[in-house]
Amino acid sequence: MLEVHHNGKSVVSSGGREKAELDVARLHAYGLWATMQQD
Amino acid sequence: VSFQSRVERTPAGDIRLHLADDERALLREVADELGSLLEEAPDDPSLRRLFPAAHDDEELEREYRELTRGQLDAGRERSIETLRETADRELLTPEEADAWLRALNDARLVLGTRLDITENFDWEAFDANDPQAPELALYAYLSWIQEQLVEAM
Repeated sequence: MLEVHHNGKSVVSSGGREKAELDVARLHAYGLWATMQQD
Repeated sequence: VSFQSRVERTPAGDIRLHLADDERALLREVADELGSLLEEAPDDPSLRRLFPAAHDDEELEREYRELTRGQLDAGRERSIETLRETADRELLTPEEADAWLRALNDARLVLGTRLDITENFDWEAFDANDPQAPELALYAYLSWIQEQLVEAM
């Protein structure tokens, strides 16, 4: 939480694409700015 | 205007709102406008912050949108509807208060996009004669109510 406050972004979830998309959509539902990034 | 807290949590866990009639009317209006915008102009540029891209890749992004947009729309419609229906209520259940938070946040994001408000926005330079002053004031008001709700919950 502090990381996102200081850096403006933070990794909040990792995993396969489907799970990550579900998590991203959940954040989008709250108006949060979430994107996917492949490692 | 009094700046004491307008939102408090009751011992039973509900949320009590001390809002004037004109504030409630304004909130209902915000819910109406946001609801019609989502329904009638889903591709309006001011809505883009509500539906951020999940992928840089165009094909993946298209798939993500097809998969999630319907659900995101439905969730937003529900919380906006709750705000509209409970705008006159003195007591909110925690679920209703959560819907208020979501709807108010959505309204702020849309207004903020329209007004191009960013983190470094200079509120000190607020000018009441600015043609955007009413919308800026609304943005500030919604932020304030949102903050009070978060603090009360």
